[in-house]
Amino acid sequence: MAASGITQEKEVKLEVNNLRISFRTSNGKVQAVRDISFKLYKGETLAIVGESGSGKSVTTRAMLGILANNAIKEGGEIIYDGQDLMKISEEEFHRIRGDKIAMIFQDPLSSLNPIMRVGRQMTEAMLIKGKLSQREARKNFNTTLKRLNLAMNAARGNDAENTAKCRAFNKFECRHLALENAYNRAHEAATDALKGIDDLLFEIEKNAANTLVADVRVICRQSMTAIERYVVHDRAEELKGKVAALKKLAREPIAEIGKRIILPLFRKQVKKFEFDGEAISAALKEIREILAEAVAFEKPNFFALGYYLTFSGQPLPELSVAETNAELLKYLDENFMLDFIALAKEGLVYSHNVSTEKKKAALEVFERLKPVFSGSEIDRHDAYAAAKELISAVEAGIDRLEIVKDNSAYTFATSLRSAIEQYFGGIERNKKEETRYARQTAAYERKVARGKQPDYKVADKKLVDLGEAAEDILSVIVRVEEDFRRQIDRSGSVNFDERTVAMVDWLKQQASDVAYKVTHNMAKTRALKLLEEVGIPEPRKRYRQYPFEFSGGMRQRIVIAIALSANPDILICDEPTTALDVTIQAQILELINRVNQERQLSVIFITHDLGVVANMADRVAVMYAGKIVEIGTADDVFYSPAHPYTWALLSSMPDLDTKEKLEAIPGTPPNMIYPPKGDAFAERNKYALKIDFEEQPPMFRISDTHYAATWLLHPNAPKIEPPKSVTERIARMKARMTQEAGSAEKPDAPEKAGTAEADAVQPKARKPRKKPAKKTQKPEEQ
Amino acid sequence: MEDKEEVLLKVEHLCQYFKMGAGRELKAVDDVSFEIKKGEVFGLVGESGCGKTTTGRSIIKLYDITGGSVYFKDQRICAGTRSYKQAIAQARREYRAEVARLKQKCKEELSSAEDPQSVQAEYARLKEEAAARCAEIVAYNRKEKASAVHDQKYCDRDHARRVTDGLKEEREKALAACATDEERKAVMKDYATRLRIASRERIVNRIQMIFQDPIASLNPRMTVRDIIAEGLVIHGIKDKEYIDEKVYGILEKVGLVREHAGRYPHEFSGGQRQRIGIARAVIMEPDLIIADEPVSALDVSIQAQVINLLNDLRAELGITVLFIAHDLSVIKYFSDRIGVMYFGKMVELAPADELFDHPLHPYTKSLLSAIPLPDPQYEKQRKRITYNPLAEHDYSVEQPSMREIRPGHFIYCNSVEFDRYKAELGIE
Repeated sequence: MAASGITQEKEVKLEVNNLRISFRTSNGKVQAVRDISFKLYKGETLAIVGESGSGKSVTTRAMLGILANNAIKEGGEIIYDGQDLMKISEEEFHRIRGDKIAMIFQDPLSSLNPIMRVGRQMTEAMLIKGKLSQREARKNFNTTLKRLNLAMNAARGNDAENTAKCRAFNKFECRHLALENAYNRAHEAATDALKGIDDLLFEIEKNAANTLVADVRVICRQSMTAIERYVVHDRAEELKGKVAALKKLAREPIAEIGKRIILPLFRKQVKKFEFDGEAISAALKEIREILAEAVAFEKPNFFALGYYLTFSGQPLPELSVAETNAELLKYLDENFMLDFIALAKEGLVYSHNVSTEKKKAALEVFERLKPVFSGSEIDRHDAYAAAKELISAVEAGIDRLEIVKDNSAYTFATSLRSAIEQYFGGIERNKKEETRYARQTAAYERKVARGKQPDYKVADKKLVDLGEAAEDILSVIVRVEEDFRRQIDRSGSVNFDERTVAMVDWLKQQASDVAYKVTHNMAKTRALKLLEEVGIPEPRKRYRQYPFEFSGGMRQRIVIAIALSANPDILICDEPTTALDVTIQAQILELINRVNQERQLSVIFITHDLGVVANMADRVAVMYAGKIVEIGTADDVFYSPAHPYTWALLSSMPDLDTKEKLEAIPGTPPNMIYPPKGDAFAERNKYALKIDFEEQPPMFRISDTHYAATWLLHPNAPKIEPPKSVTERIARMKARMTQEAGSAEKPDAPEKAGTAEADAVQPKARKPRKKPAKKTQKPEEQ
Repeated sequence: MEDKEEVLLKVEHLCQYFKMGAGRELKAVDDVSFEIKKGEVFGLVGESGCGKTTTGRSIIKLYDITGGSVYFKDQRICAGTRSYKQAIAQARREYRAEVARLKQKCKEELSSAEDPQSVQAEYARLKEEAAARCAEIVAYNRKEKASAVHDQKYCDRDHARRVTDGLKEEREKALAACATDEERKAVMKDYATRLRIASRERIVNRIQMIFQDPIASLNPRMTVRDIIAEGLVIHGIKDKEYIDEKVYGILEKVGLVREHAGRYPHEFSGGQRQRIGIARAVIMEPDLIIADEPVSALDVSIQAQVINLLNDLRAELGITVLFIAHDLSVIKYFSDRIGVMYFGKMVELAPADELFDHPLHPYTKSLLSAIPLPDPQYEKQRKRITYNPLAEHDYSVEQPSMREIRPGHFIYCNSVEFDRYKAELGIE
């Protein structure tokens, strides 16, 4: 899909703003997450690093709405696809969990059903979600096409023709999908069969083909599925003959190896046979040749083909695939597509202009109504009336034909309502709280006056800070206002051609989702494939086993397979490989990386293993005591770490060259019931300054991508070098890089390093974080 | 680490099979041999399910081993009977085959012979000879088997008896040296307690274990003092003050404070719990500690604390450690020698630096290529080597065995591969 037309920067998938979460416990309120903000871009991997209890799991659990019962959502928002995940209902979460945002948990046993076979657990979600996503895609397709149609009508006025065009698009799109699906199925079967043949040939050669009969059966079935108009067509009869011959060979063993397997109940004898390996190999090679030829064919353009077959009423021209493609594409463009695109573009321009006008109108409304919320005391009646007006103005300003819904206007209504509710509800609750406190203190004092020693304390007042609540309301409004202003400024420079193409692509994508029907068999095939992908041997046997029959590492791999099976948009991995050994860990990381690249998946990766982070992450956020203390690209954080906590983490981990004593971080993380006033890490930090104990450091900007919250970065702070072990290690890494780049064995290494660097810099350009600028000017007290 | 040559633990052909029902067996550990010298740290690595934990648990007698033997301080503490049983069965099978062959031969000769008597006599003589040979093998193996069973069952009792005998002799000497009755009484009383404790002594107590999961391995209903002192109490020590002093001492040694003794495990953080586990192991003053993945369940920062603690204890008390882990960076940092296991077999055994500089076995290579390092640029280029035993080895001609390729560097291979590895190392 083409990049969105409106924003030139990377598409934001998920945005966390000022998130604060606490837990109610018998000892007091534990502040788990204290005001963190970050963005997750499309296709990137963000690693969150930190000790246990630093709030990394809580953050991600909030994204899925699975916080514990005693959690208090103190504030902030998590914006995904135009929704605020902190505010949506449980019902709405059902659509998001697993399907859009999937999570791999730390403990695999507790996330598997013990009395259900693994295969069933894997396919269950696929089958249910398959139907659901079909329905949803149909809805998306229909409403968007309808909106587009209306916009076209408004733009040009020729209603009947526009509607006919849209209908035609709908009609031939269905035909296209049917053709393409058939092709895909056959093509996939052919590639699978090729892989299976290669494996089996290898096994026969090594004399280790234990499951020969079953393998041959699978290969035969796949080869037969591969017979299709555009895959194996000319040589179909030949292939059928070969497959039949192969089947016959597999049915007729040449010798019997009298191995007995005694089954416990029946004492049954199972005979083992030997097969003619050479003949089977020869047959397999012949089939492989046919399939390899078929797979190498060029793919026809089914989109054009669908149109041609639906509307031309003529048979296909007898040409080669490339020529046919060009011919059909020309036909399609001349007769339909160019017109349609022009029309759609007009519609989009119209809709965009209308919404820009509405936005300008909304800005006036903002100007007019902002004073209602900015006074020292807000009038209840006025506030609700103003909110209503604001919401309708903002809703009108949304361009519904935009594909990327990452702007805050979508969440405006819920955010504003809840902010106002917070304020007015707070007034009443504060009153109640005051009376309760007065009553209980009086009772307590009466007891003391009578000479008793009460064995309890009066709980503190929990008051809502009304000033802060009012500020929250204003900030919600101001954010949307700024967004609107920015969009109006940018409205002149929107590339509508790109956007139209994106729109058509998106419609095609939705349509293919509608046509993508998941059957039982397909689900099983996919589950088996996934099991193989995550490195489970004998998937066919394992498919029918129960979770307790698997070892810990295997269970984890099953859970990962289940999470991947839903094709999620965002994958959250909560220490998925902590309990696994290196080889499996490497396999799973490779798997996640591959899926990430193939499907443009965004991954949030939680771990405390810095080696894994280096492998996976594009960007790294280091968390400590509920705050992000350092965030930057992987290169930033590993090669030029700035926060003392990052230094400590790096130096406390042995690598292969470490010989000296490890520098462990002394002490334990702070008690988050009484979070420290200053920098939370100051207590354990040997580089702590005096101000660290008094005031929290703001996020200092080191480069466009790299930020850290430590007073050491203040211009007035003394210059402190990272500890020796860290600098030495970085020097060692650099030395290794240059050595490897220079070595003659790998001529492509320097080039690779260069591109890797370019990759690292280029896509991660992001806009600077908002930071509390007022605090940075604080003078240093040493 | 001074006396490097003294062998503390010797594992010979250790086999540990588990029954899987229907007459099948899972060979969790199959024919593993190694030695641990006094004062060194021996690391065991391998993927999950390769039998490293089972090896550790078999050594400490948590399982009854199937075959092979384990010597600790030159005394056999574990012994399996499988090999003897197999030898007996083999001998009998051979005997039967021999008899059948003789019978056949005798029949043939009888048909053509003139003197059937002498042929039959010859036949009877040969049969008897075979029977005698068989009986000899069977008797030898039976004896060995009986001794193995005895060692497996009564090694602790034998050990206790030896210790008490030694003590009694000492007491006799002390008594002889005494002049008055009063002195005699004091000596008798003193030795009575020591004898009581000695009679409960078990040799396996000289080996202690640290478990992977600090939460699961501590009893939630016991205070830290009880947990740490439990070993001493079972050992027969009744002196409360002595126990308390010892517990406090150990607590301080592992980086906790006296006040922690009265608390319960749930009041501690993960790293502190693991320290309690270590204290519990160390209080028995063991010669060998089997550390079964002691740091893999901990955070990085706490991992470093625990590794430093183990290192300090090792320097201070001169403890030998069998360190089981799957984190190769940690194992490289901590161990002197490393054994690599794959599917119940030891495939390579070498000093740590040698193993990491010159890995030979393809499995070791694949293992080493999978270590993630905190270096993003390097990680982007790292190529993982996959290991497929089918493609790598061809054992159709000759079965592999453990061979020493360089001093201290053992590898599991057959002679063809041995030559190849030698060429790889550049030695003749």
